[in-house]
Amino acid sequence: MSSRLNWRTSCRPRNLHLWYGLAALPLLASTTAHAVPAYARQTGSACADCHAGAYGPALTPYGMRFKANGYTDTDGNGFKIPAAMQITGMRTVPTQGQSTSQLSEADLYLAGRISDQIGGYVKVQSTNGGDNKFNTQLSDMDLRFVAKELKFGGKEATIGVTVNNNPGFSDPVDALPAATENGPPTVSGTLLNPSSSNTLAHRVIGASVYALYDNDWYGEIGTYNSLPTSMQDHLGYSIAGDPGKLSDTGYVRFAYMKDLKRQFFSAGLVGLTTRRQLPRTGPTEDVTDLGYDFTYQYLGNRENILQLAYVNILERRRYATTPLGALPGLVAQPNGSVHDQTLTLSYTFKQSYGVVVSHLVSSGTHDIVRFVPYGDPDTTSNSYTLFWAPFGKDDSFTSIANLKLAATWFRFTRYNGSATNIFGVDPESGAVITDARDLDAFLLSASVAF
Amino acid sequence: MSKWVTGRFIHAVFITGLLVGWMLALPVARAGDASAGADVFKAECAECHSTKEGRNKKGPSLFGVVGRTAGTLPGYAYSDAMKQVHWVWSPEKLHDYLSQPARQAVPGGKMKYDGLSDPKQLEDLITYLSTAH
Repeated sequence: MSSRLNWRTSCRPRNLHLWYGLAALPLLASTTAHAVPAYARQTGSACADCHAGAYGPALTPYGMRFKANGYTDTDGNGFKIPAAMQITGMRTVPTQGQSTSQLSEADLYLAGRISDQIGGYVKVQSTNGGDNKFNTQLSDMDLRFVAKELKFGGKEATIGVTVNNNPGFSDPVDALPAATENGPPTVSGTLLNPSSSNTLAHRVIGASVYALYDNDWYGEIGTYNSLPTSMQDHLGYSIAGDPGKLSDTGYVRFAYMKDLKRQFFSAGLVGLTTRRQLPRTGPTEDVTDLGYDFTYQYLGNRENILQLAYVNILERRRYATTPLGALPGLVAQPNGSVHDQTLTLSYTFKQSYGVVVSHLVSSGTHDIVRFVPYGDPDTTSNSYTLFWAPFGKDDSFTSIANLKLAATWFRFTRYNGSATNIFGVDPESGAVITDARDLDAFLLSASVAF
Repeated sequence: MSKWVTGRFIHAVFITGLLVGWMLALPVARAGDASAGADVFKAECAECHSTKEGRNKKGPSLFGVVGRTAGTLPGYAYSDAMKQVHWVWSPEKLHDYLSQPARQAVPGGKMKYDGLSDPKQLEDLITYLSTAH
């Protein structure tokens, strides 16, 4: 299926590897992390102070404050080199296709503070595409300029600017799909979902101004523009995934975050709107995302930590064109919507052993022309992860580096609008029929960050 | 009353007063629950402090803090404000400091903490800190 919203859709999807690749994206992403040992060295904190499982990406309230303060907090003990590395080995066992064991990813983090007002997070990711051919890309980038410990009405505030390449990554709660890398697998997802085809993630550059007031209230407003295709290619991204030319793009994020020390909860809203031309010389479509999210953490004395997060994003589209369908009389809808939802529950014991369960749903309005062959893009999946991160606590062998061993089961119950024969293959043709569960996979991964 | 009895009475009061004063000065003689205090420490303090000797984090190690002069732990970069308070972290001083916002207790200090309002948790915490030596 073409990933471009405005083009006439083909009758039968081509390139099954693309489908598996799309399905696998969150599998790979969810086992990597944003835990950065450079931050631990800079602050003197243990990994577990900012990340409940001592490895990330989910943040504790302390970690959220560190992020909102522009990654600049320090233990005051001199300059620390703001660099860290992560290496991941993975064994992938798909239901269909070959199992692989390989060094899957090597990451370089340039992350830390330059001064009390300037800090950042930059991840350069090198991914094994098979046969030990590594593709190096600029992954998430979030550069901050902050003014901390301001006083308004007797309350403390931080005001900052973030320059970043992934809408939602700057979220202090770390709940939005760009931050969790756990947006639902999808055939046609929202702008804010990095799993969507022609995603904005890493192919745009933008800036927002934000404020954190009285530790509880967060607001951010900004804009993005897509990178030239030559720059996307230079940064390691195929131009086939170009998000298009963007104009009138606005991003907003509001959140109420309450840290009660033994518990934490937050409620937030997010919005992203743009006018997109894809292809870049083509007509313009209007796309607007509006979402809300809730998180809750039980922290207690950190022996047993429970985290719950729900993100719901609705996207309204006014398409640029209304292509005709394969059969006479069929015309694509001029407007439509898609809907991405993620519910994640995680339990961590002694900040070392954990289980993470996610329920991921991507759905959309019925359109027999745009979503072939069933007219629905609906995709439902679940992931179950068990992990062990033995280090990264104050009383560990090391508090500022860690190892994470994880086993993840990924299960699809629906893909491309169906549980069975998801590509609508003619059974009489002799071609392989693929059901949603044929996309299931099991992953074993070992990551070390130092 | 005879002079002998009066003298004995005064002697007894004096000895009792010495004993009570000594017990109150003993850092380990706290009414709180150290085990519960360890939990309070993990929830309220452990992000920035450790009770391990020599382990400074965003805040200084609290190993042996009870009885220590404020702002004097070697190897930690205190704020000027904390270096100038010149008080000893007695249990009473800790009680006073921790029951209010840290920047109210020491204006210009680095510590960001809103204070602990629950008196039992505060007592348990100080008792726990008294055991970290």
